[in-house]
Amino acid sequence: MIQLIFFLSIGALLFASLFFLARRNSRPEGSSGALIEARQALVALQAGLLPAELVHRIFANEDWEFVRSEAPAKVRELFMEERKKVALLWVEQVRTQIRSLRRFHRGSARSYARLNPRLEMELALSFAWLMSACRLLQLVVYVGGPYAAPRMVGAMANAASRACKISEQSLAFLNAAQLGILSSGSTGQAAS
Amino acid sequence: MDVEHAVEDLRHRTLSEIPRSLDRLIYLASMRDYNTGLYYHDGLASRFTQDVACEALADCHREAFNQLVSCSLRDLVGQMEEYINSTHTSPRNFVTAWRKLEPYRVAVPVETDPVVAHFLFSSFKIALAVLEARLRSAQPEPVA
Repeated sequence: MIQLIFFLSIGALLFASLFFLARRNSRPEGSSGALIEARQALVALQAGLLPAELVHRIFANEDWEFVRSEAPAKVRELFMEERKKVALLWVEQVRTQIRSLRRFHRGSARSYARLNPRLEMELALSFAWLMSACRLLQLVVYVGGPYAAPRMVGAMANAASRACKISEQSLAFLNAAQLGILSSGSTGQAAS
Repeated sequence: MDVEHAVEDLRHRTLSEIPRSLDRLIYLASMRDYNTGLYYHDGLASRFTQDVACEALADCHREAFNQLVSCSLRDLVGQMEEYINSTHTSPRNFVTAWRKLEPYRVAVPVETDPVVAHFLFSSFKIALAVLEARLRSAQPEPVA
């Protein structure tokens, strides 16, 4: 009886592993979905998260100076709490989009012959550095607040912008028309 | 090209009369139908077409939103103070209503990055707290 339970457990474990592996690899590398996701990540980073003006505003010291000179302790606390939340959300989103880009480049390096190996290597290093920097920045902001590491924020935003440019160069051969076809194809798939 | 002309027309005839980006944001958000997400402006639609007017309003809405996001907190508080004065509402009632209803949440253009939207909501929350503190210090509430 014990042996039966043991073998059944092993069988269930193997089945579960197979199921998770199958789910993990359900999206073929270099697929149109992955490509659209990568493009969306690029747009989110370049237009949404990394413009210097936004980064400056989120971490603007002048806002803190204003609140410190104008408002009572309760409002100062609220300010720090709110800015910390925004800063952590910003870092988390940058990290998520970088991860999405990295996933695409890691998968597509094997699928697209026209990708430049030197650029892909450069990107791989940038992504590795950025992922670590994001984690570290999250920790620093969580412990020390939004103004704990202004230089690190600047360095990370610059590095992420550079990585986006390299990624954009790397994906330049995929023109808007191709993406339009892919995008409409994926919408159709989603609708059906 | 038509959209550019419509944007210019909108800026020249209407938005030039609304100097603050906060007021422009609220005005342009109010031109949007909540059920469809489309913008309507009869005057602009009669000079151009409904589609062009809609696109021009959406462009100006995004522009006003970006301008407000770029404002410093001091500037945002100033704009809110002036906006309160222009509505002729009691500042206390205004601050209470805005804190409870958070009407600025529906004034965001579509496809705004969630982090940027969150940042502006957070700034509004802080600005309202600053205004409330100012009101308290200017006129202490009567002791019962």
